[in-house]
Amino acid sequence: MTGAIGKPTPYIDAVQKVTGQAMYADDYKFPNMVYVSCLRSTESHAKIKSLELKKAEASPGVVAIVTGKDIPVPFGVLSISRDETAMAIEKVRYQGEIVAAVAAETIEAAEAGVKLINVEYEPLTEFFTPQDSLKTCTPDEQIHAHTKDHKNIHKTAELRFNEPEKELETAKHKQTGNFKFAGVTHGFTEPHSAVAMWNGDETLTIISATQVPHYLQKNLSKVLGLPLHKIQVKKPVLGGGFGGKSDPFPHEMIVSFLSKKIKRPVKCTFSREEVFITHHGRHPTEINMSLSCDDGGKITALDADIIIDGGAYGSFGVVTSYYNGVLLQGPYLIDKFGFRTRRTYTNKHQCGAMRGHGAVNPRYAVETLLDMMAHDMEMDPCDLREKNFLSDHSSTVGEFRITSNGIRDCIAAVRKKSDWDNRYGNLPYGHGLGVACGFFISGSALPILWNRYPQTVVHAKLDFDGRIVMFSGASDIGQGSDTMLVQIAAEELGIPMDFVQVEVSDTKTTPVDLGSYSSRVTFMVGNAAKSAASNIRREMAKAISKEKDTPAENITFKNGRIFTNDKSLDISWEEGVEMAMAGRGAFVESGFYISPKLGGNFKGAGAGLSPSYSFGAFISEVEVNPKTGETNVIKVWGAHDCGKALNPLAVEGQIEGSIHMGLGQTMSEEMRYKNGQQLNANFFDYRIPSSLDTPDMDVTIIESNDPEGPYGAKEAGEGPIHPVLPSIGNAVFDAVGVRMMELPITPDKVLKKIKENA
Amino acid sequence: MEYYHSPDSIKDALSMAREFDGNFIYFAGGTDVQIYRKQKLEKNEHIIDLKSIHDLNSISIKDEVLSLGAMTPLDDIIKSKEILKFFPVLVEAAKSVATPVIRKTATIGGNLLVRNRCTFYNQSQEWRNGVGSCLRDVGDICQVTGGKNDCFSRNVSDTAAALIALNAEITLINSNGMTQKPIKDIYLPCGIKFHDLDNEIILTQIRVPFSPKKWWYKKLRMRKTLDFTSLTIAATIDNQDIARICLNGVSMTPILIEEPIETLTLESLIKQARKNCKTVDNDLMPLKYRREMINVYLEEFWNSIYI
Repeated sequence: MTGAIGKPTPYIDAVQKVTGQAMYADDYKFPNMVYVSCLRSTESHAKIKSLELKKAEASPGVVAIVTGKDIPVPFGVLSISRDETAMAIEKVRYQGEIVAAVAAETIEAAEAGVKLINVEYEPLTEFFTPQDSLKTCTPDEQIHAHTKDHKNIHKTAELRFNEPEKELETAKHKQTGNFKFAGVTHGFTEPHSAVAMWNGDETLTIISATQVPHYLQKNLSKVLGLPLHKIQVKKPVLGGGFGGKSDPFPHEMIVSFLSKKIKRPVKCTFSREEVFITHHGRHPTEINMSLSCDDGGKITALDADIIIDGGAYGSFGVVTSYYNGVLLQGPYLIDKFGFRTRRTYTNKHQCGAMRGHGAVNPRYAVETLLDMMAHDMEMDPCDLREKNFLSDHSSTVGEFRITSNGIRDCIAAVRKKSDWDNRYGNLPYGHGLGVACGFFISGSALPILWNRYPQTVVHAKLDFDGRIVMFSGASDIGQGSDTMLVQIAAEELGIPMDFVQVEVSDTKTTPVDLGSYSSRVTFMVGNAAKSAASNIRREMAKAISKEKDTPAENITFKNGRIFTNDKSLDISWEEGVEMAMAGRGAFVESGFYISPKLGGNFKGAGAGLSPSYSFGAFISEVEVNPKTGETNVIKVWGAHDCGKALNPLAVEGQIEGSIHMGLGQTMSEEMRYKNGQQLNANFFDYRIPSSLDTPDMDVTIIESNDPEGPYGAKEAGEGPIHPVLPSIGNAVFDAVGVRMMELPITPDKVLKKIKENA
Repeated sequence: MEYYHSPDSIKDALSMAREFDGNFIYFAGGTDVQIYRKQKLEKNEHIIDLKSIHDLNSISIKDEVLSLGAMTPLDDIIKSKEILKFFPVLVEAAKSVATPVIRKTATIGGNLLVRNRCTFYNQSQEWRNGVGSCLRDVGDICQVTGGKNDCFSRNVSDTAAALIALNAEITLINSNGMTQKPIKDIYLPCGIKFHDLDNEIILTQIRVPFSPKKWWYKKLRMRKTLDFTSLTIAATIDNQDIARICLNGVSMTPILIEEPIETLTLESLIKQARKNCKTVDNDLMPLKYRREMINVYLEEFWNSIYI
């Protein structure tokens, strides 16, 4: 690579963002716009006996009020669990669920209107724990009518290969653990916000803080009964998502419905408390897991029974259920492998996808059991892991195709940098090191909604001004995909980055991309962009070749020049553009990505399939105060195999962000509830680590050059979070000799264990 | 702004206070009170901002006696080399409040009179409606204990712990004139009415009478910054070997244990502390752990005396 690829590149929108010029959803204002405030349920599970709107309707400034019955069509990101409506109909399933929405001339008038609505509830039996939901109940008590056997189980996902349970029964070296994980939420900076407009040509435009414009378009079409071609979804600049904006949401349905109804622009922006209520974060999880090894330390079997607490609705839950199990097939070779995940409905905020989707909690369990195994077998935990790594260009028991794999380089890097071999096990009491590994998909090989189209298409446009515009539906949510599009076009065409601009995330003007989830964008959109830009190059070379009578294959595009090695041709980019457009004008070239056919033929074989997987190894160092139980994470060494860092600055940022986010879940973050009501629905009490709580980070980028990734690239946004949590837990063991089987590792839990151990 | 007032003298501030007849709040920085306003826990219409009043933010030290204007930002206290030299426990306490940005606005007087906190009270109005409100709000029951009489919300002032351990006094002014009293005497053992100052009174000065020969300070919280305290202990030993140990964050009022070091034992210290703290489960840090930490911290303090 000689151009922009592989160079640390600040994001193209960085200056706009830090100077306050960037336009987020809530920054959009339109003439005659009305504002929406939502009435939210004060009950966790109750029938709506009556809903009295008259006073609110008469309140000054109120323009319209809608309730669940007005928008009854269910929706959901997965077609198999469309179990949610824009507002509660007949009954509420969690505290904070939207019951009515008031549109008014000002937000204050809307809020005043909300206060004048009277609702009468008739309480129903509430289910706050998954254990309650696993039990049989009366039909009336069921949270959703569609669940089977009068239980509140949303999904049971189970896969078994080669009878792991039999191996575990007789295994000589076996570890079993019961793990418990609190729910955590994304904590993105920008709250949900959407503004919808009903246009003069009877079409709908919605500007929304979403990671998935395409799925929003599809769900809006269904809910509003509008054909797809009449819906335009635009994603503005986004202030973080982490999976928390990857569903279609009730407020998006509400503003769209209202704008169509009252023919005015309608905006809804959530308060921080509403963002917490909307949630869709990581599921509270309970895991019973067993793992066995032979005398040499080779893993012989793994089996897990997992219960995840889904909250009131489905969201991505079916996928989460599978990911909890299937994503344990790496980075170690395990032939006898099985899991069962049960996802329950409860009367709490719904859970969904969050960075590292589905695999973060079970990864903690696996890596803790491996650490316990190493300890009992008196083996170095790094050595034990190294004995078990999957090789590159291999396959897992569930038929995941492994291509590039830099896991050995990852563990070697952190082992060396942390001086593991000299320090592990030799630090004074209260001071410890821990290691863990992980792997993750580089994009789901299958789309959420089955279709025959590519997973992404990118258009590259060349015009007389010499500018390349990349048109992509990819949603930059802060991960830098817009910058990647620019880098790739600049690389392919040998031009400076400032010749390239982007038009993105607008379902009217940009070709379909499925969205920013499952760490798919770099791999899939990157490949499509590379293809589109190289098609522009091909067209230009063809025209120049004809005009200059030079074979097209001899023409090089580099440093803003177009030339042959013998310099018989040596023209500027602008001259080349002029030749390419002569008699033709501006043109557009297209590129697309479609995943190869992968995987087995059994039920559930599609879950976790990816064209490529990332790998990583992390080591953490902690200090534990044995008198107070306070744990201080002082340093984390992280090595992540992202195939090829297209933008090393962005990859480094993703790894550091993963360390910080993983630290939060490990140490202090927790969705706290009492009777279905969240106790800490604000950034003060929901404790995201501050800069002072964040350790030194040493980041190593490993480049295994994936054969199918763009320039060899794989994902870097989610994979790095998995090893963070267990590396900290394992370090606590090295420090004070106690196994932390529950997250977060709060001081009270550590102290309790230390006392029990004494 | 019609409801925002920024008088430049105490006299004007007091006359405004009288004019608004209880329908006002003073801003001494306002960093905390603003949240109460947002959460509709503070509904008075008028804001009387004390920041423009002259001479309320001065720091002076004469003969090891500190005079501190009540409107002195916490950040100024942290940056004062003189205060650090003679009253390091106060600097430690100020440093442990909130975050650097907040400390540029938040004042020492504001922190001394910071409102008591409870997990079930410091929430939005919608949240409180959901839970059914509480004694301190418009309900008739304590959401923590189920009791109908007492509110146990916690005094969370870190600087109060330090200044009480320093035996500091405050100057108060209202239309009847000026009074001075020890800081420790203004707090009441009640979560709702947590001090005995009348509505109109303005805290103007803080006087710290001595520089202790030994001091100790520690604050328990989940994160290293921002969080309100789950337990603060500030302790001093003066030249007469009187130990003053003040605990805060674990009861409705700061708890002072004042005794000659000669007669004090660790056991009696812990016993007094545990007996006087009305600690209930109204903080996100577990109750049992907070109680346990009272012992651990006091033990740590005790051991530090003899180093």
